[in-house]
Amino acid sequence: MRETWVVGATQNRFGKMKDTAREAATRVSMEAIRQSGLEPKDIGYTFVSNCFGMTEHQGHIGPLVNSGLGIPHVPSATIESACSSASAALHEAYVHVAGGFADAALAVGVEKLSHLDTLTATSYFATGADYPFETKNGATFPGLYATLASAYAKEYGTRPEMFGAVAIKNHANAARNPHAHFQKEITMETYLNSPIIASPLRLYDCCPFSDGAAAVVVAAKEFVKSPVTEPLVIRASARAGSVTDMHDRPDLLGLPSTRTAAEKAFRQAHLEPKDIDFLEVHDCFTIAEVLALEDLGFFPKGKGTQGAVEGITARDGRLPVNPSGGLKAKGHPVAATGASQVVEVFEQFNGLAGSRAVPKARTALTHNVGATGGSCSVHIFTRR
Amino acid sequence: MSEIMVEAPHSVEEYVKGYEESGKLRGFRCANCGQVTATWGLACSRCGRFPLDEAELGSKGKVVAFTLLTVPGDEFLNDAPYAYVVVDLDGGGRVTGWMPTVKSETELEIGDRVHFVTSYKPGVQFAKDDSAPSPR
Repeated sequence: MRETWVVGATQNRFGKMKDTAREAATRVSMEAIRQSGLEPKDIGYTFVSNCFGMTEHQGHIGPLVNSGLGIPHVPSATIESACSSASAALHEAYVHVAGGFADAALAVGVEKLSHLDTLTATSYFATGADYPFETKNGATFPGLYATLASAYAKEYGTRPEMFGAVAIKNHANAARNPHAHFQKEITMETYLNSPIIASPLRLYDCCPFSDGAAAVVVAAKEFVKSPVTEPLVIRASARAGSVTDMHDRPDLLGLPSTRTAAEKAFRQAHLEPKDIDFLEVHDCFTIAEVLALEDLGFFPKGKGTQGAVEGITARDGRLPVNPSGGLKAKGHPVAATGASQVVEVFEQFNGLAGSRAVPKARTALTHNVGATGGSCSVHIFTRR
Repeated sequence: MSEIMVEAPHSVEEYVKGYEESGKLRGFRCANCGQVTATWGLACSRCGRFPLDEAELGSKGKVVAFTLLTVPGDEFLNDAPYAYVVVDLDGGGRVTGWMPTVKSETELEIGDRVHFVTSYKPGVQFAKDDSAPSPR
């Protein structure tokens, strides 16, 4: 396996895009390639993620992106893994480069949903669940995570304010992120007064529907030679799965695929949780960040809310979590999210994070979940 | 030559017809690890055993987790708010369902006893044991 780096990572402003998905994906890809000092012709494979392109009457987006980049002869494939699509694309890019099948590869994720009404968008989101055994019984995506939250709150006596602390922290970070969908802080009062969407989850427990695109350029160390950016050394690229239906798992107090992917990733990297300086975790709902911190091994079971409540996971805390604002406030353009997490690490390592810079960040972990944990990716990055 | 394909004890369509038309919740039982589930599969999602045995699931059980949905799924537009529930069935098996008669978070608690009710609406419906059956 060759040492493999992220040499470029770019995203657009999350929120509402005028661009179609193919335009946005091509734009961020060109930006990321230019940033890396490589040229489009250096790309040996393009992995594109786009879950809901059919709503724009567009599938098979890979060749469109490559053609738009002036490299139509380069092979491409669309990688779908629900909300973890872009990290799955990154994994494929890593495998190709580390395994010697390409010297450089592009992983780009894009989603556009703002042309749909909330109800339609909610229904599209729910397609990541099991239709006949969850969705057909009334489940929505917030509903499934709310079910996890209800089981968690019952087991550990979690109060609404403890979930609220996660939302407030992530909004505070997003307020400093020019890429973020919601660049505003919220108060506990705003949180508690927001309407219940799926009890116990309120509006401010939930990520928004966002448009957005993010691209990551991966290249072999031996191919790049003298990088023009501070590269992220990919120390681990691990994926795992768990049974799709939450109710068929041994318990509702975590996501098994996160636990498995984290174990694999720490083993690959020869690192432990204590070695990680900051995290970007999958916080589609506040409960998801809480579970992630426990399943990844950073907090004991039932203690995941401590991070936000006690300021440990704040930007200036001992273990910053989601300095970007996370899915919760930066936004969640489904198939772009996994790549966007890497953009945050790239910007932190390259001094591009402005006022949200995490002090002395040398090692970072990204965690990206597909739906309610049917899929999960964990990546670990260090500086050279 | 006829097509040879592995068979499950029942199809997803037969499962849906089962609860919609004959009031039966069909499921699968694993002869190796004992897992009982409604979720369709050829092999056991817990231990990998193939094939699975047919099982008729119990119609009564206990709520282990739930949410009250105020923003519904698109097939449930006229039913919100309603509860989405995870239920441990007596005799084994954990399934999901929904409860159209639950209109407030305070009307249901984890641990409440519920029973399956046959319905012409979409999905598997439950009602609280102490409540009147939901309208058909």
